[in-house]
Parts: sequence; structure tokens; C-alpha cells
Amino acid sequence: MTLHGALSIIVTVKPGMEKELADLLQQIEKDPGHNPLLPFAQIDSIHFARFVICPTRPDARGRIIPSCLVFTTNYDQPLADHLQKLTTITGPGLWKVFSYTDPFPGGPFDPNNLAAFLDRHSIKANTFYVGVANRSVQQIRQDAQLRDDIQQFLDHNGKRLETKDAQDIREEIRQFLSTRPGATPTGKPSPGQTWTHEPNPDNTASYTLSRIARLSLAVILSLALSPIIIPLALIWVLILLYQELTRPNIKCSIEKDHLEQLLERETGIVQNQFSAFGDLKPGWIRYYTIMTLLRLTNFLAPYLFSKGSLSGIPSVHFARWLIINEGRQMLFLSNYDGNSEGYLRDFIDIAGKQLTLLFSNTIGYPRTVLMVFGGAKDANGFMAWARQNQLITNVWYSANPSVTVKNIFQNAKIRKGLYGSMTERAARDWLQLF
Amino acid sequence: MEVIDKKELQGLLVRGYNPLHAACYLLLKIKSAQAAKDWLSKEFQQFTTGDRHPETALNIAFTWQGLRALGLSEDSLATFPFEFQDGMATPHKQFLFGDYGSSDPAGWTWGGKNNEPVDVLLLLYAPDNSALDKLYIKLRSQWTNDPFEEIKKLDTKVITERKEHFGFHDGISQPAIIGLGRDNEPAENKIAPGEFILGYKNEYGQFTASPTVLATTDRTGLLPPARDVILSGDGPLTPTRDGTPSRDGRTQKDLGQHGSFLVFRQLEQDVRKFWDFMEAKAGDHSHPGRPADHTHPADPGTAIHPADSAHPNDSTHPADPTDMIRLASKIVGRWPSGTPLELSPEKDKPDLDDKNRFNYIPADKDGLICPFGSHVRRTNPRDSINRGDSTSIEVSKKHRLLRRGRSYGTPLAASMKPEDILRGKDDGSARGLHFICLNADLGRQFEFIQNFWINNPKFDGLYDEKDPLTGNYHDPQNQKTTGTFGIPAEKLRQRFTDLPEFVTVKGGAYFFLPGMRALQYLSSL
Repeated sequence: MTLHGALSIIVTVKPGMEKELADLLQQIEKDPGHNPLLPFAQIDSIHFARFVICPTRPDARGRIIPSCLVFTTNYDQPLADHLQKLTTITGPGLWKVFSYTDPFPGGPFDPNNLAAFLDRHSIKANTFYVGVANRSVQQIRQDAQLRDDIQQFLDHNGKRLETKDAQDIREEIRQFLSTRPGATPTGKPSPGQTWTHEPNPDNTASYTLSRIARLSLAVILSLALSPIIIPLALIWVLILLYQELTRPNIKCSIEKDHLEQLLERETGIVQNQFSAFGDLKPGWIRYYTIMTLLRLTNFLAPYLFSKGSLSGIPSVHFARWLIINEGRQMLFLSNYDGNSEGYLRDFIDIAGKQLTLLFSNTIGYPRTVLMVFGGAKDANGFMAWARQNQLITNVWYSANPSVTVKNIFQNAKIRKGLYGSMTERAARDWLQLF
Repeated sequence: MEVIDKKELQGLLVRGYNPLHAACYLLLKIKSAQAAKDWLSKEFQQFTTGDRHPETALNIAFTWQGLRALGLSEDSLATFPFEFQDGMATPHKQFLFGDYGSSDPAGWTWGGKNNEPVDVLLLLYAPDNSALDKLYIKLRSQWTNDPFEEIKKLDTKVITERKEHFGFHDGISQPAIIGLGRDNEPAENKIAPGEFILGYKNEYGQFTASPTVLATTDRTGLLPPARDVILSGDGPLTPTRDGTPSRDGRTQKDLGQHGSFLVFRQLEQDVRKFWDFMEAKAGDHSHPGRPADHTHPADPGTAIHPADSAHPNDSTHPADPTDMIRLASKIVGRWPSGTPLELSPEKDKPDLDDKNRFNYIPADKDGLICPFGSHVRRTNPRDSINRGDSTSIEVSKKHRLLRRGRSYGTPLAASMKPEDILRGKDDGSARGLHFICLNADLGRQFEFIQNFWINNPKFDGLYDEKDPLTGNYHDPQNQKTTGTFGIPAEKLRQRFTDLPEFVTVKGGAYFFLPGMRALQYLSSL
């Protein structure tokens, strides 16, 4: 079982250096996996990595926020191992990129200095969503390869197998996998292996148990405190409602040039990225509301959104929400299947209410009532808000760019189905995965 | 229910003029804007409105360039949706639609990258060819001051039993626009008028973004005030980037009201290639997709059917026509008569009354009857999005098209019976479909369907399949130029990994189909 982490490094860009930094990042973006500066593909624990320059802009009260550089990865834990690889394999490249930021130690590249720098500017995500369950980069890759190999075997032997029972076909698949050359990486059976047990089963039992314990504790605590929590929450909600009804809603608009630049970067046929940056509505009520909601979502996400579905959206690999710049802005970053038009339509059509609860705390979001009603129902307003706040992602790397979340889950089912014995019925169901 | 004012609409939004068997499309370039506007005002009455059942019909639509050529101001042109401004042939659109290789806009015969831009589309309909010729000659005789240059005249052909060239009944699934009749439709097929007609509410209960003009240019008060399409914004209206007045009803008028966007794509069909593929594969795999329980005698690979072989003298082509039709129907998702596989899984049932009243869930959750990747399950997934998600029908309703296309070219076999087509010799002449559809939001409707459903290898949990009927497999990021198509079965799926391209794009453009008042406004510019 693999646990995932979300590393987020946010540093101010040296004044006047935005253009040069963007040019450097553009060089990396040409081949994010194998460029000489930051060969991300050589780090086997990275699912996704990206650089985003958040351009300078005034906050909700008109105070200027300088431009900053955001560097994020979605990695397989442990963090120490990830950082070690980052500071060695991509160390000199990161050193060069971050030399455009301030404060930066400067001088010649030093892995220890870099590690200290990354540590100093690392921000914990307020909410981290994982859509690929507990699967490592390598597991996802090997499962996809396994499925492809079986498909090709079936392509070549379909006519011969057609008349056999499902159980016999499954047995032939196992035979093929055991005898073919080079079939040894973890998660894949080695030559001559018996198929009675899965070699490295996802041992999630203790993890699940601790999760359940935590949830039970939370429920008991909230019940015990309910005489205090409920009246407070009611007053809180009434204040919010008053604000929602009386404060003017700013209208967003979509600029053609901006949209074109965003869409030009969506060149992935299977996966794409989304980065957005919005001003939080001012006032401490809003601030504590969003912090509480994000914390709650982060706590509940593993229960509510397991099985690769974020509020019913079945296409998000990873997503994170960060409150940055002393609570003035929200940063939202995600890696998803498809393109942004379809992705944003899913927000509106499938997950409008849940996501409105979080996003309605930013300026320009379509008017809400009680933080869930209205909002994304105003589809035009939602699209304008999303596009206006969407940022250009300067560099985006994906380790397994040709699999969707649905593919990942199906491939894992295929692998699991190779082990143990099966009834004819179960073998038929398993064969239908191909 | 909103009352739709049919006399304000061009007739094509209300009907496809099916009783008018003859039709042609004129692609025009504006040579003299003044002469074009003079002609429009003088002959305004001849354009067919939605409240008439005419003996002949005439409708008109403009590209974005055409509106500029006519003299619409830059301010106003900038209010059209970006998808319309960009047109169909930018690199980004190519990427979305998969228009590469033989479908590359650089090689189109009209529209696209290298041809003279089309300004105006005229759609002519008549009961027969001689009446159509008369209508055409009448129009040409009205153009005394040389308003247009004819870029192309595209002819059409109504094929026996309303089939398309591959031999399948086409145009069965059409949305029923609420307020325009057909009340006996199931709820999932009743679509809000604003999905097709600007100025009415769409499936979100909102008005779709609509182009506007400065109120001061509407001297005779033809147009209604512009609407704010974002529901809940208030406070100061954001001024547009270039400092022009905000889109506010007092200063802006609605040019889109009663109009629509018309998508035109000329899709050439390689009928011989289509049936050759079925012949080769049906011989390979007998009875594709038939549930495994229906065991078949003999090894399918060696089965030869001397009695009913398609080529009795050619033993290397042993395919049974029944198997060929079955495979083709799995690709389409309907049988040649139009009966959906869902309503008759085993064989065609031509006498079925309502060929459009069906869903996929729960009976066909696993795609054993109609493959997930088949053409009809992709282009209108009904209740099967995400394998039967509860929101599926609501989502599907937001991605519908009103189809108005017609075939062109001589059929391979006059009878249009599959058995005859699959034996027909290719005479080398071009044939295909002039695909025309209407929608209010190009991005959310046509482009979404073409991109997210037709050209998406990961559609609905699949791995690497595009639309098996219309998919294009040329792609700059991939060497392979053939496609994959899987037919789920109860035991062992069938999979084809060498699907050729049966359909190629030969031309296309986006047009604005104005309402009658907007047309009058345009003619008065």
C-alpha cells in the first residue's frame, strides 16, 4: 500500500524576473519528462509535477501581492525519499529555477541548502484529494502494461479460445503470463509462479481500521459538543446568509487572449491540468469558514470520495486546495482526465453543490444562498469565474500520461483477478474487464 | 412553457423540409456588400419562416467573416462566441476534433485553411430537381448587381428510405424542442428551446450567450434589448476590455434572438471500404458479439457458407452477409432499418414503431447488446454516462444537436439494401453526408460532442477507442493510423485493432443563422 503526498513550494519571484523565469520554464515544458535541467521521469516516485507563475495582482482590499512561483508534486511517500531524489536528480535544475526567486540562498548548487530552502517554503495543502487510491507510480504503470499484454494475447488467440470455458481462458492467460520472458517486476507474477496468492496484496486493513477509529472519535466528539456547536453554527450560518444577500457580487468575464493561452497548453489527449487562483472574500467570518470547510473536507475525503470519484466526478487523479498569502487567496490545482471544457462542465452538472460550498468563498463566484444553493447552477457565471481565475501552468509533467482514473481502477481489478481460484461465473465477469 | 414565435425564426429551426426532396447549398463570397444588402432587403419576403409550410424553401446563414464583409461593426463581431469567431480550422479545433491526415483542413475542398473563405450559406429546398433548378435560376436572376460570387454549389440526394450511404436509416434521434410540438415524446427527449434557439432559456434555465449590437445602430427598433446572460452578478458591470460600453440592455441590443449557430461539415463516406472491412472481419470472427451461450457449430475461422456467400466464386471471402450486417450494426448501434440494438439485440426488426424510445440502463449496463464504443451510444449516451450515473440523462440533455443534414452522391446500390450495397462495385464517385446541425452553444454542444464523445479514446471508461463509424485515427502524437473497436461479450470480447477511417472531412464552416429581425437588421446595415 502506498500513501501519497502533496508537496507545495511557494516563493516570491524576484521583481522584474517574471519574463526570464517564464522563458526558462518554457524550455522545460518542451519535454517535461526528459529535459536536461529537470528530468522528472528519472524520479520514480512522482505522479505529477508542475510549475505555475502566479502573476502579481491586488488582493480583495487593493493591496498588491507580488508574483510568486508555485512548484508542486504528487509523490509516493515517504517524503524524505522524495526530497532526496528531488535534491539530487533534479537538484541543479531546481537550483537554477529557484534562483529567480527571493529569498534564495544563492551561490553554487548545494543539495543541503536546496533541501533546507524547499523545507522553508513548503506549505501544507489545506485539502488534498487522491483519486488513484493507494497506488504507486510503478503500480499504475505495471498494471497498465499487464492489461495491454493480456489484451494482445487475447487478440492473437481469440479464435482458439472462443470455444473454451471462462475458467480455462483465465488459466491460459495465467500460463502465458508465467512463461513469457521478462515478467518479473513487483505486482507482476514471475515465471513459473503459482497463482494461489497475490504476492504484495494492498494491506489496507490496519489503515482502514485507524481511519474508522478516527471517524468514530470525530462523530462522538461532535455529538458530545453538539449543544454548543449547533447554536454557534446556526448563528454563523445566519451571518453568512446576511452577507450573501447584502454584499454585491462581482461579475467575471472571459478574455479571449487569456482563454486561448490556456487552451493552447491543453495538448494532452488523455489528461490535462487545471490551476486557479482566487481572492478570498474579505473578513474573518469567511476566512474561518473556508478554513473549517477545507479541514473538514480533507478529513472526510478518504471516506466520502474513495473509489476515484470526487463528489461524483470520476476523472480526478489528484487535487489540492491551499490558502496562501496570509489567508487572502485560495489556490486550486488538479490533474484530471479529458480537457477543461468537459472538466468544468462536470463541476456544474455533477458536483455543483459540494464544490460550491468551497469555491463560493472566493470573489466573483456566482451568487449563493447558504453556500450550496445557486452558485454553479448559474452555469454561465461559473464558467466566467473559472476561466477568469484560471492560471497558465508553465510546466506540467505526468508520469503515466495515457491512463485515466477509470483505467487505473479497472487495471487493478484485472491484476487482482489473476490470483486464487474462481467460479465460472466469476471468471466470466473478470473476462468482461477486457 | 415559453411560447416560441415561429414567424420570427428561419424555418430550418422548426423543420428539416423533409417533404421537399430536392435541396442544394450555395456557398457564396460577398463581392459587393451594398448589392448583397439591397438584395436582402428587396427580396426579404422569400426567406422561409418557421410558421410556413412552403412549396419551396430558402434559408440563409453567415460566417463570422461574412458578417464582417456585410459591414457588421467590429464591436459587434467581438460579442459573438469565441468558438464562432475562431471557426472550425484552427490548430486547437483540429486537435479537439481529430481533423488530421485525410481530414486535415489544409486539404478541404471548401472552407478550411487554403480555400477562399465562405461568407454566406444559402439553403435551397424544393419538391423535385426541376423546381429546385427554377429556384436557383430565380435567385441568380435577382443578383443583377453582382452581390455574390458562387464558391461552390453543393448538391444533395435523398436516398431510399432515408438511409445514409452505408445503408443505415439516419436522422432518427432528434431532440423534441419544448414548445414546437411532438408532445408525446418521453421526458428525456424534450429539450429546452434555448438549447437551439437564442433568446430562450436553455437546459440550465439560463439564456445562452448571444451576440449584440450597439442600440444606436438599431435605428428602426428591430431588435430586443440585450440580456445579461450571467444570472446572479450584480454590482458594477465589468466593462469590456477595449472600453466599449458594457453589455447592458440600455446600450446594447440582442442580435442573436431567434437565431442559432449552424455547423456544416462535409463528410465523405467510403462505402466500399466500410463493407470490405465487414466482409474481412465477419469471415474472421463469425457472429460477432453474439452472447457466448449461443454456441455455433464448426470453427468460425474455417466456416465457409457456399450457399449464401457474398462472393460465391471467391473462397477467400467466406463471410456471411448476415454476419457482416451484424458487425456493421454493432459499430453503428442500430440495425440498417434504424431499429436500435437495444430493442432488438439479435436481428433487425424493421417494422418496429418507435425506433427512438430506448435507454441503455439497466439492461445493457455491460455493453453486451450495444457496445460502449458504438456510434449511437457515443453521440447520444442517454442514461449510460459513467455506466449509468443518476445524472446521466440531465447531462446528456445539455449536449444535443438538431440535425438537418442531407446525403450527396449516387448510392452504391439503388435499392439501399445492405445485401446489395456490400456487393456493389465502387465506381469511384464521391458520396457522403452534408452534415448540418443547429445549436445555441457551439462549445457546449457540437464541439463537446465531437471532442469529448466522438474523438475521445477514453470515452465512458474505454481505453483507446474513437467513434468506430466516423473516427479519424491520424494524429500527430501517434504513428498508428487505424483504430480499435471492442465488442463486449458475455465471455470473451472481440477486439479489432485495425479499423480504417470510413469517413473523412472534406469541408466545413460555422455559420450564424439569424432570426428574421436580425436578418432585417443585417440587410439595413
